[in-house]
Amino acid sequence: MSSARARATPPPTRVELGGGALVLLEASHAVPLVSIVLALRSGSALDPADKGGLARIVMRMLRRGCEGMTAEQIDFRIDALGGEMAVDTSPSTVAIHAQVIARNLDAFVDLMAKMLATPTFPADELERLQRETVAEIVEARDNDRSVAHKALQRTLFDGHPYGRNPGGTIAGVKAIGRDDVLAFYRRLVTQANVVVGLAGDVTAERAPALVERLLAGLPRGEAAVDNVPEPSLPPGRRLLVVDKPERTQTQILVATLGTSPHDADHVPLVVANAVFGGTFTSRLMREVRSKRGWSYGASARTAVDRRRQAWIMWTFPAATDAAPCLELTLGLMATWVQGGVTPRELAFIQRYLVRSHAFDVDTAAKRMHQALDVELLGLPGDYYTGWTDHVRAVTVESANTAVKNRIHPEDVLAVVVGTASQVLEPLKKAMPDLREASVVPFDAE
Amino acid sequence: MAASSRADGGRHAWAAAQAGGLEYLGSHAFGPETVHRWRLANGLTVLVLVDASAPIASYHTWFRVGSRHEKPGKTGLAHLFEHLMFNETEGLKAGAFDRKLEENGAESNAATWVDWTYYYESLPADRIKLAVTLEAERMARLVLREPQVASEKEVVANERRYRVDDDVEGAANELLYKTAFTKHPYGWPTIGWMQDIQGFTPEDCAAFYRTYYAPNNATVVVAGDVRERDLLLAIQKAYGGLPAQAIPPEDTVPEPPQLELRELEVKKPTATEKLLLAFQGPALGDADHAVLTVLSEVLFGGRASRLYRALVVDRELATDVRGWVSTFRDPGLFECWVTAREGRTTRELQAVVDEAFARVRADVVSDEELARAKARLELGALQQLETIPGKAEQIGFHETVLGDPSHAFRRVEAFRRVTVGDLRRAARRYTSDAARTIVRVVPDGGAQRPEAAQ
Repeated sequence: MSSARARATPPPTRVELGGGALVLLEASHAVPLVSIVLALRSGSALDPADKGGLARIVMRMLRRGCEGMTAEQIDFRIDALGGEMAVDTSPSTVAIHAQVIARNLDAFVDLMAKMLATPTFPADELERLQRETVAEIVEARDNDRSVAHKALQRTLFDGHPYGRNPGGTIAGVKAIGRDDVLAFYRRLVTQANVVVGLAGDVTAERAPALVERLLAGLPRGEAAVDNVPEPSLPPGRRLLVVDKPERTQTQILVATLGTSPHDADHVPLVVANAVFGGTFTSRLMREVRSKRGWSYGASARTAVDRRRQAWIMWTFPAATDAAPCLELTLGLMATWVQGGVTPRELAFIQRYLVRSHAFDVDTAAKRMHQALDVELLGLPGDYYTGWTDHVRAVTVESANTAVKNRIHPEDVLAVVVGTASQVLEPLKKAMPDLREASVVPFDAE
Repeated sequence: MAASSRADGGRHAWAAAQAGGLEYLGSHAFGPETVHRWRLANGLTVLVLVDASAPIASYHTWFRVGSRHEKPGKTGLAHLFEHLMFNETEGLKAGAFDRKLEENGAESNAATWVDWTYYYESLPADRIKLAVTLEAERMARLVLREPQVASEKEVVANERRYRVDDDVEGAANELLYKTAFTKHPYGWPTIGWMQDIQGFTPEDCAAFYRTYYAPNNATVVVAGDVRERDLLLAIQKAYGGLPAQAIPPEDTVPEPPQLELRELEVKKPTATEKLLLAFQGPALGDADHAVLTVLSEVLFGGRASRLYRALVVDRELATDVRGWVSTFRDPGLFECWVTAREGRTTRELQAVVDEAFARVRADVVSDEELARAKARLELGALQQLETIPGKAEQIGFHETVLGDPSHAFRRVEAFRRVTVGDLRRAARRYTSDAARTIVRVVPDGGAQRPEAAQ
């Protein structure tokens, strides 16, 4: 019906600048906007253990004063140019995500360059940002889903850098001093430690010079050393109830370790997981939502990072359905591990994953983000560009072996946000052979 | 005709489609692109934007029915019904609708609000016909049976717990609209009151379906890499036989002007107080809507806005401030939301908010503030047009609410024309301390553990 050409997506333009910085460009002139991502090759995993939140604080401080401009003047200028800037933090990277109306790109790049090269890190602004961050951490406790995910990361990766909240803790944020900020900035905000992504209404001819200007004031420096160890998981089944008053509903996360993107069974696990909990008609959705109406959503996903990351199953049933829902999903998980996926299920999900790939690459910004991920998470070079081939190559055997080897229903952590007096005992019964069951308040860090 | 320039459909089929009532009604400039308007004999409107920037297409079906068409005691029906549309049809077993879409790599979802309900499928462009046949099938041949209705009511009850009952902001917002609207149906929540959700029967759903799901009450919007003539032939074939229906005239009572202050307080398990404050605002189609939107941006939009600076930066009373002018067909609200820092009160916040409103009523804002607000609004408008599904949504929304598929662009032009004098006039007209609704959320003690986290 359409012209149906099989258009191969060209890879993004890669330019390595003299100072060691890497630029990835995806041009598109569909809308007069330009997205700029300035990402460090290091994230919250490198925060000092007692100063969680440092990477994020430093990047946020860049807009709070630079040579000749106060924080207020910078904010006014960003808005006047029709731009916006936000900081995103994860264990392996911290990045400024910016977007601007194309006609103001030059002025916006000049402003960003100044912020990057000449930050003044005023002490009063740092203190203000610390108070702001503490208030944001308190505010985030209103969101049960976010509370559940933080408790899960903290407990699943206890003692490992992936267990730190990328946004920091109240104690960690308060402990940060101006010297910490300066030291971090000098060591990590360098040409060799940044990757810049550009997407949108800018040409390949213009991009390198723009990024040269953006980074001109930064020293060459060195790329951060990734010394994050492989995480490991203690054996046994554990239940953690995060106690919050007056909950009519629960947030239930069940997790174990998945794979690293370099593992040979990574894509087979991702594909098998899509059968289990990756789509609207997946096994989880069918059993939990369509048949029983127990939860508005039910899904499972495998997170991707430089090391093995979590495999997480998520439902949010009414408090009264929490125990039966946990029992059901643990049972579905065990059946999936023991029995694997069927040839029919595999063929179906491969068609879905291959055809829906069009939506992973339909905008320049999405393609640029994929290219950035490859760089920043150290993914295999063809992780995304060869995605449909990787998916097609999965067999029933490779999928089921991956699930069996990686997902162990006897070694899982269940985190439930709910009112403990109401849900703890029923949940314990729904999860037999528990090695450990504990309750923490919802504001625990 | 531009609309058929890329066509390769058979000449006979095309002639037959036109003889069958497929009518071209003209074009609308959509920024640098063009939307073509077509209509079938049964009244189905079809809007097409050919955009070959990516090998995908997005198929949206907008029905002119939302929670405003419900009756007290039956609230939430439009939204529950939206869920049921993914179930069984005469030609498809339960679950088959989603499976067919997934198998073809499609993304699909739906949304319901006060004025409308819409469904979309985004597909690889060569799969677009699947959306045509599936949507035509469920527009007329849905099967509504007890087990599915019962299970879907549970799903929606859980959605309500998630979005409203266990969510501080959702609950406060529901209370605000309930208090601000005394007559107009905008006062009840689109998701419905829990008791109403649990009371629906398959008969309620069937009656709603017969009344509102008809080709003459819908607009199909297609954006993407499609051959327009082939697409239209497929639409004519799939929908042409569906009968038009008599849509009952709406029986909505306009909201009377609010002349008094309505104030209430609600206790929630949260650590901080929140202030929700709302004035009666203009309808989306009112010329003042753009003016008030710019005013809202000057006061609440981004880190340079007046109230962000006053409340978050300078006085450190708040964590977050937001303003929004409802984009509804009938007059809605100009809402303001402020989250207090721990230990701060809504009274302290309100004093600052009131002072800011008094200032914009008394004095004009600076040219720089106006320019910043316009630049931010332009950025926001462009961001909504970044993807093909985003364009289809903008076209469908503005067509359904205002009858103008290109209004997204007209709105940016309207923002550009706004003057500082307009802002002061709008502030004087719409914001009065004595005629507004205030909801205060205060901690009930359950979540206050100020020392526990240290």
